[in-house]
Amino acid sequence: MRSVEPQPSEQELPLWQLALGCRAIVTGFSEALSPAYRTRMSEMGFHPGETVSCVLRPALGAPRMYRVSNTVFSLDRDIAGAIRVRPE
Amino acid sequence: MLIGSPNCGKTLLFNRLTGLAQKVANFPGITVELASGRMSDLPDTVLVDYPGTYSLHPLSGDEQVAVDEFRRGLDDPAVSHVVCVVDVTRLEKSLYLTLQVIRLARMRGKHVVIAANMMDVLAGHGIEIDLAALAAELDAPIVPISARTGNGIADLIQHLRVDPSVAPLESAGGALEIVPDVLMQQAAHRLARRYGPRGDVLVRTQNRLDAFFLHSWTGGLAFFLIMYLLFQSIFTGSAPVMDAVESSLGAIAGWLVPLFGPGMVADFTSDALFSGVGAFLVFVPQIFVLTLVVGLLEDTGYMARAALICHRPLKLFGLTGRSFIPMLSGVACAIPGVYAARSIESPKSRRLTYMAIPLMPCSARLPVYTLLIAAFIPSTTLLGGLVGAQGLAMVSIYFFGLVLGLVVAGLAARRTAQTVADVPFVLEMPPYRMPALKPLVQRAFQRCKHFVTKAGGVILSVTIVVWVLGYFPNGGTDLGSSWLAAIGRVIEPLFAPIGLDWRFGVAILTSFLAREVFVGTLGTIFGIQFAEENMVPLVENIHASGLGLASGVALLVFFSIALMCVSTLVILARESGSWRLPIKMFIAYGLAGYIGAVLAYQFVSLLTGA
Repeated sequence: MRSVEPQPSEQELPLWQLALGCRAIVTGFSEALSPAYRTRMSEMGFHPGETVSCVLRPALGAPRMYRVSNTVFSLDRDIAGAIRVRPE
Repeated sequence: MLIGSPNCGKTLLFNRLTGLAQKVANFPGITVELASGRMSDLPDTVLVDYPGTYSLHPLSGDEQVAVDEFRRGLDDPAVSHVVCVVDVTRLEKSLYLTLQVIRLARMRGKHVVIAANMMDVLAGHGIEIDLAALAAELDAPIVPISARTGNGIADLIQHLRVDPSVAPLESAGGALEIVPDVLMQQAAHRLARRYGPRGDVLVRTQNRLDAFFLHSWTGGLAFFLIMYLLFQSIFTGSAPVMDAVESSLGAIAGWLVPLFGPGMVADFTSDALFSGVGAFLVFVPQIFVLTLVVGLLEDTGYMARAALICHRPLKLFGLTGRSFIPMLSGVACAIPGVYAARSIESPKSRRLTYMAIPLMPCSARLPVYTLLIAAFIPSTTLLGGLVGAQGLAMVSIYFFGLVLGLVVAGLAARRTAQTVADVPFVLEMPPYRMPALKPLVQRAFQRCKHFVTKAGGVILSVTIVVWVLGYFPNGGTDLGSSWLAAIGRVIEPLFAPIGLDWRFGVAILTSFLAREVFVGTLGTIFGIQFAEENMVPLVENIHASGLGLASGVALLVFFSIALMCVSTLVILARESGSWRLPIKMFIAYGLAGYIGAVLAYQFVSLLTGA
């Protein structure tokens, strides 16, 4: 999935790389992410313009936890790497 | 009809409205449950509970069925109301579905009532939201409720009393149909931002607890402690009840069987009904305890955290974090493990988990392992007395099963990766909550009932076949001259490459009913009663039969791989929706077990020079 991903612009980074405790604005999705999953992530709150924050980065590459409004989601690298954000 | 997003408290509301009198229907092929029940306060009204979903756009096969069923329900003229449950603490995840439901329901001329749940949580934090304004924007009545405390339930019921023959005012529908989904999604976000609770007070406690339960050290320690307690509860918690079931069945058999007098009826009642079917009823308490404890972990919110912790290592084998509990349960008994796999959203991971579970070293294998290890592994110590050879053999065979399960899943994942669509790992972390015990107990009872009713018939049929083969033509006086023994002698050449004669062949044949039957059958063949309880005379007889270490190791390998449990096969067929997977697994694991046993026999023979 990640091999075909276009390089994000300087300000943008994949959500997976967002530092612990930092907030960011969702800017879009990787082209490699299927439309169905883009829709689902939008439905869950990860839609362009929404603020997300990284609340936990467990060790050993475990899925990381992101807060959207009052909901916390756990996303693994495949999906969090396909959501583009711009840190605030 | 009751619909809502996942974790919005919908099931709790359903149980409150129906007084726990729910009926669960299982859809073939996939794991979607629709619960229905008569409302306690409106006995003429049946409430149907649909699985939680984020929207009416299905992503997986399971969701497709849930959404299709919901749409079919809307077309049913008998349906008058749709109750859409909304979690007011997290409006943003509920409102898009709510708008979709309102649109669809009105197009079908159904009344929509929005149940604004978890008002007690908001009140506890002193937060107020303007539900009246939100109701005006949605153009649908909103009833503030707390499914947990029961507040507002009476108001909700009042809204459901509306005469179903009166069509809702907005039933014209046409204009609503053309609202594009994108606009609807934007409207949902706008409304959530305007009316949703602000600040981080609602997730502060959750974040604090997560920092503990998901911390590298404290989280790891808590995880192992909780899993240890879960495991202990399966074995020790259910043991007294299992013993009680066993002794009760024994007492009933002791009273009933003599009433028939000596003869075939008494033999059938004693050996087929009480010994055969009774052996499977003994597992019911274990299923009850496991369902209860797993439900407790789910309802407190810890299960989502456990899934997160295990996700990364299990992903290496094509599994998901959600596979952990089913596999752990499989170490006690594959049946509750297969049931627990229902929580796995990804069809691919669920299938792989089904494949791994029967390889876990279940408790039914324990008596077989105990007998074989006692018979073939010397009771010497190794490493200067630190490790016992028999204990080491037991640990090794358990470890072998665990690793084999993961390896098989990993290999199968590589084969299916290109053909089966997968669901990415996105898990909503539910808030930590105090669980309500009553629904948990209810769920555990239902699971046991499902097990008894669904597996019972097949197990009884197989038991009867095995019993008839072992009983005739000599009236059960000599198993050695029975049809079963004749079959054993026919298939004896099959067991020759692992150094076994017809007696062990027959014991293996009968153990296809359940693995532990192997010990009982050998006891019967060697003329030893209660072989399961006292294995010493049986071990002596096995030694006297001339069986060597190579055959013992071969049997251990065979029993750790082969899928010899009718109950597991039946439940696998029920849960996966067809007999294809269990039949494939039965053949593949049987062949692999046999080949593994032959190789082990040859290898050990070579080592020992036998």
